[in-house]
Amino acid sequence: MAQVAQMKIFWPVFAAVLAAAAVIALVSSKRFTDNTKVGWRIVDVILGGIFIYAGAIKALDPIQFANDIDNYKTLPWFISVRLAFYLPWLEIFCGLALVFRFLYRGGLSILTALILIFVGATIAAKARGLDITCGCFGHASKNWSFTQHIALDLLLLAALLALYISNRAPQCEDL
Amino acid sequence: MKLRAVRQALLLIALACLPAIGQAIYFRDKVSWQSPIPPSELVGVDQARAWGDSAIWVDARPDEEFARDHVPGAFSLNEDRWNELLPQFLPNWSPEKKVVVYCSAESCNAARDVAKRLRDEAQLKNVFVLQGGWEEWLKSRK
Repeated sequence: MAQVAQMKIFWPVFAAVLAAAAVIALVSSKRFTDNTKVGWRIVDVILGGIFIYAGAIKALDPIQFANDIDNYKTLPWFISVRLAFYLPWLEIFCGLALVFRFLYRGGLSILTALILIFVGATIAAKARGLDITCGCFGHASKNWSFTQHIALDLLLLAALLALYISNRAPQCEDL
Repeated sequence: MKLRAVRQALLLIALACLPAIGQAIYFRDKVSWQSPIPPSELVGVDQARAWGDSAIWVDARPDEEFARDHVPGAFSLNEDRWNELLPQFLPNWSPEKKVVVYCSAESCNAARDVAKRLRDEAQLKNVFVLQGGWEEWLKSRK
């Protein structure tokens, strides 16, 4: 019951914070007049928002996320449960790094590494015949198929790599 | 530039530790840190057998495995046919009985998941997971 109430409060607050972050990020962009850069900033904000969402939904129920990690049968429980408390916050911080362009390259690097690990773990689980829920978006992703899971991961990976390449130019230095 | 990315990544990794540690402290009594099932919810085969008629056995394995063999008197209750099997199981339950759920082996999750649903959805008390599952039961039978 408390969890339902918590979820009801969570979504409006989350949407408001994300909308505010998107507006601040876009308005504060130094290259707001450059259409191409604005395009990449939008990708930053969308991608950052996705990771903030994915992290927040898991941070709300770390025990369920620990079970999701444990289902992969790759790590012992005592590591899975500790990761379940840590990974959601890492995703949130890296998502914020993309949205606000603060510690941007670090955030991009970590998220790329995380996605590669997720893809590897999913393929390995499938190869071992494990029927798992990915847990990437909490209960929202409970019924996702292997194909849907991999397709989203690859899409995110492609977007992260595109951001990496688009931000290699020296004028795109961040903090 | 690469050094900068590494430095920033390390800073983010360190920053994420702070709320994670805070949340872990908040949840410290609600989480089982060493095993997915808290020791208080586990029961060994010998102990469960000693409960005799006061224990109800629940087989969380798929239908085919249940049909092949199962603990005498066990009820089949798996997640694939949860809505169908739960109403068949519930009339056999009474508050003074202990429910012992098992799946194939130590490594399977079905018993844990079914036990959790029995506690959360059916509001049953005294629900335990059999340590070692069906494998352990077979060993004890020899």
